[in-house]
Amino acid sequence: MNAPHALSDYAHLVQPDRVHSAIYTDPAIFEQEMARIFHRTWLCVGHQAELPNPGDFRATTLGRQPVIMVRGEDGQVRVFMNRCRHRGMTVCETETGNARFFTCWYHGWVYRNTGPLQDVPGPAGYGADFHKEDFGLTLVPRQASYRGFVFASLAPTGPTLAEHLGPAAKYLDIYMDASPVGDIDVTAGVHRTRYRGNWKFVGMDGYHPHYTHRSVLDAWRRRSGGNMADTHHGDPFADDSGNLTRDLGNGHVLLDFFPGRMGNLDRYLATLRKLPQGEDYIQAMHSAHGEARGNELLAWAGDPHVGIYPNLQLIGVQIRLVRPLAVDDTEVLMFPGLLKGVPASVNSLRLRQHESFYGPAGAGSPDDAELFERNQEGLQASVDPWLYLGRGLNRERVEPDGTRVGLVGDETTQRGQLRGWLELMSEALA
Amino acid sequence: MTITREAVEAFLFHEADLLDDMDAEAWLALWAPECCYWVPCNGRDDSTDPQRQVSIIYDDRARLEDRIYRLMSSAAHSQRPRSRMRRVVGNIRYEVREGEVHTRSNFLLAELRRGRQEIWSGVSQHRLLPASDGFQIRAKTVLLTQSDEAIDNLTFLL
Ligand code: FES
Ligand SMILES: [Fe+2]
Repeated sequence: MNAPHALSDYAHLVQPDRVHSAIYTDPAIFEQEMARIFHRTWLCVGHQAELPNPGDFRATTLGRQPVIMVRGEDGQVRVFMNRCRHRGMTVCETETGNARFFTCWYHGWVYRNTGPLQDVPGPAGYGADFHKEDFGLTLVPRQASYRGFVFASLAPTGPTLAEHLGPAAKYLDIYMDASPVGDIDVTAGVHRTRYRGNWKFVGMDGYHPHYTHRSVLDAWRRRSGGNMADTHHGDPFADDSGNLTRDLGNGHVLLDFFPGRMGNLDRYLATLRKLPQGEDYIQAMHSAHGEARGNELLAWAGDPHVGIYPNLQLIGVQIRLVRPLAVDDTEVLMFPGLLKGVPASVNSLRLRQHESFYGPAGAGSPDDAELFERNQEGLQASVDPWLYLGRGLNRERVEPDGTRVGLVGDETTQRGQLRGWLELMSEALA
Repeated sequence: MTITREAVEAFLFHEADLLDDMDAEAWLALWAPECCYWVPCNGRDDSTDPQRQVSIIYDDRARLEDRIYRLMSSAAHSQRPRSRMRRVVGNIRYEVREGEVHTRSNFLLAELRRGRQEIWSGVSQHRLLPASDGFQIRAKTVLLTQSDEAIDNLTFLL
């Protein structure tokens, strides 16, 4: 068995071409991940478009810590700790809703949705040194946003959000700019899914679809004369497809389907044109971005397939948030984003495409979840504890900006995420 | 055929058997050529707009056929092994509207797979077209009690 001291030697556990199964199975390492990753780095809390009206809120967690993301009556979106300043009860017990006030039902302290403490029952019981102004809801230590994506960090200091995102920021633009007005609507609800496996299995893996998703690929091929979907021609996961994997640093990675999609643009535009007013969407994209950039963005189809480490992914039409619950238990929230400024038919298509693959009854997500659970089981066999992640090391390129590039089925993405993991885990706690 | 409570119940019980036995091809044969199989999400009901709200399932005939095709494939991992199921259908109410039978019934389903047993429940709303040998399903909406919870695997049929 593994000696305990070896398990805190993270550089030993995560090597250039292999990783030790303890990082997926050891509860003590999971606790360290909570402290060093989830309670420190930037996490995506959601997109502000989920909260269009003053008072709209979502209660969620950052690592283990309960928070509320709420649009205050002043229009600002803030992230508060979901904890009463009196004796610490959660002040918001429902996951989503609209509230002018958060009332703590333990003893009745009442907070405005902008944070200040409004009312305390029996104020005469508090002395002259008690000031309500000192007892507003606690803000997360740091909050920042990019293109409406709300991020929070539980550490008071650290890299800025811009430094954290680095070259990954432009892929958030690609998601948002599938709308001709550069904005989305995130009020279509959420698919909540869960699997009994480690959170790091939600990777960014271009090597698995031929096997994990064979049933879907067969169904698609049956319908579309050999193509996998309207956005793809041929097999987007083949090593010779032209598609790539990218490691953008800080654990951010993507499957870059742009080369294949740009080659398939005409076919995809034909699909859009078959929709009612589909041509209007194409025209709107051309007039908003110019024809060349408009076509590029149409080819991307708002699907950067990017993972922003550690808990956000933009895949298909969805904003995906990963919530680790335990070393072997993970919740995944999938919010389909609708585009603003497009014909209704484009958004209907986005919803149907999303449902067909994702969510608890989709053709894809449950098979991923099933294999993640089998992976968790397999890793209990720790006689040989190593997972091999060397695919494509022999052909990986390093670009001038330091990002790494592999072919679509190469494990550049897994290595990139684990490099980000190792950096965060190795950094001493403040 | 004459529409009687007995005939409606017999049809719903027959459908439940096909679902429990995962006899997906026979179940698919119950559906009308134009149909809608809908499981709303996020605790919503049939008053929601599926063009603006995500559903757990919103299948037309083509998507329903794809679903069954995939489910029968040897690589539908989340149903290898299959769920073992038994459901009870009850509290059946129905009315005839413009030649269609609208039913509303409750179900309670025990589902066992890979050592984990889950209890699922909800309300099913059927729109049935009388046919020579029973009914065809024009639409089925399932209001699943768990539709706003985190769910790992809903790849069996409701
Ligand atoms: S704990 Fe909230 S009012 Fe007492
Ligand atoms: Fe997958």
